[in-house]
Amino acid sequence: MDKELLAALAKIAGLEKALAEFPEDVAAAASSAGLHRGVMHAPEDPAAEPWPPMRPAAGA
Amino acid sequence: MQDLHWISASEASRAFAAKRLSPVDLVKALLERITRLDPQYNVFIKLDAEAAVAAAAVAEAEIAAGRIRGPLHGVPVGIKDIIDVAGLKTTCHSQVLIDNLAASDAVGVAKLRQAGAVIMGKLSTHEFAIGGPSFDLPFPPARNPWNRDHHPGGSSSGSGSGLGAGFFPLALGTDTGGSIRNPASACGIVGLKPTYGLVSRRGVFPLAFTLDHLGPMTRTVADNALLLDCIAGHDPGDPGSIAAPRGHYAAQLARGVRGLRIGFVRHFHEADLVADPAVAAALEAVAKTLAAEGAEIRTVTLPTLTEFAAVNRIILNSEAWSIHAPWLRSRPGEYGKLGRQRLMAGAFLQAADYVSAQRRRAQMIAEVNAALRDVDVLMCASSMDPASRIDDAETTSRTYPRQARTPFNVTGHPAIAMMAGLSAQGLPLSVQFAGRYLDEAGVLRVARAWERAAGTDRMHPTL
Repeated sequence: MDKELLAALAKIAGLEKALAEFPEDVAAAASSAGLHRGVMHAPEDPAAEPWPPMRPAAGA
Repeated sequence: MQDLHWISASEASRAFAAKRLSPVDLVKALLERITRLDPQYNVFIKLDAEAAVAAAAVAEAEIAAGRIRGPLHGVPVGIKDIIDVAGLKTTCHSQVLIDNLAASDAVGVAKLRQAGAVIMGKLSTHEFAIGGPSFDLPFPPARNPWNRDHHPGGSSSGSGSGLGAGFFPLALGTDTGGSIRNPASACGIVGLKPTYGLVSRRGVFPLAFTLDHLGPMTRTVADNALLLDCIAGHDPGDPGSIAAPRGHYAAQLARGVRGLRIGFVRHFHEADLVADPAVAAALEAVAKTLAAEGAEIRTVTLPTLTEFAAVNRIILNSEAWSIHAPWLRSRPGEYGKLGRQRLMAGAFLQAADYVSAQRRRAQMIAEVNAALRDVDVLMCASSMDPASRIDDAETTSRTYPRQARTPFNVTGHPAIAMMAGLSAQGLPLSVQFAGRYLDEAGVLRVARAWERAAGTDRMHPTL
């Protein structure tokens, strides 16, 4: 990720201190987030609903 | 009597009732072993020896007076250090919570105390139950009992290592992306992630609310059923808890697998993440054995591991960031490097990513449920590789994600991991069985059939 973009995103997230002290860790975190997002197939059906996260064993 | 350190909870309970063994003698034998060996394995963050001996003495007196509370009465148990034990610190293996004293027991621990179990102390984990073995934390990482130069899996690493090392017969672990089943696989023990909501999470430091599970870790399948019997049950104080009756988890252990349909998810280890040949061969041997025992083995297809992992990580990272953001913003230097990297990832995800992952999750649940309409139990790989050397950070970082455990965190189905054999280097290989919601008894039934046929409950490392 571009350094300026990374810095801007880190600032939005309130991670200025982490960026100053651990820039490689912030970059690794941003890279990891992008990788996962790129792999997942979002549902094609616009009406597909999320699993209510606190309803156990949904769909049983 | 056999070496006391390999005694199962079931055997100990029978020996206590028959007055062939006392809880105090068992605890003292284990404490001697722990004191002698744990400096090499780093299982304990806090060994609570004095309280353990006192609790064993109480159990001994009650049993002698005929007031036997149940099969865990007087049996030692270790507790992962993200689970509250009243009067002890819950550090989550992190400097961030180094002085975090627990005021009360987690629900699972309270149930163990009520059953008369003996709490031995708090066990190593990965920092906040995420990351991997790290050397920049306040406590050293646990080691593999089969070879201390290798990692024991995680994040319930002290639980797995301590069971494998013969430090206690029972342990509690937690599992958000595979953290009970990873150490079970690496240490050659039995680890069950129950159905989401079957075991209360109250008093457990959260990693990701909708993926977190508390579960039993043991050396035998029968002990796993006993421990689940104790800790399962509805808790109105846990918003994820299921209002369902508890099962009798040991009820089907002796039934064998004749007539069962077992769906083998081969693409997980043959195509999605190609397994080490020793792991693939071990899985084929398990399938062949279960077929010989009378099961019908069918090939089953599910979404890819890569996508399951992505959905798991987007949800996990988003939920974990909401927990850790204040600390990561103000004192990032108190985290270890791995924990800091993993826990900051959620800062770079958007709300829509999280909702999309939950929507995809609903579809994945439907797909696994559909597969489980055609078969009784699923079988698949757990870890794709034997445990790597703990000092080889590059290989550990490459192989840790090569696993097939996250699907059942995403869907919430019960899943158990256990030994499938040993590698040529003498390290445990593993297999995983998963079942329908609340069918832990069925999963344990298949696990017991494999254990009985292969004798995995009698295989221990030499320390």
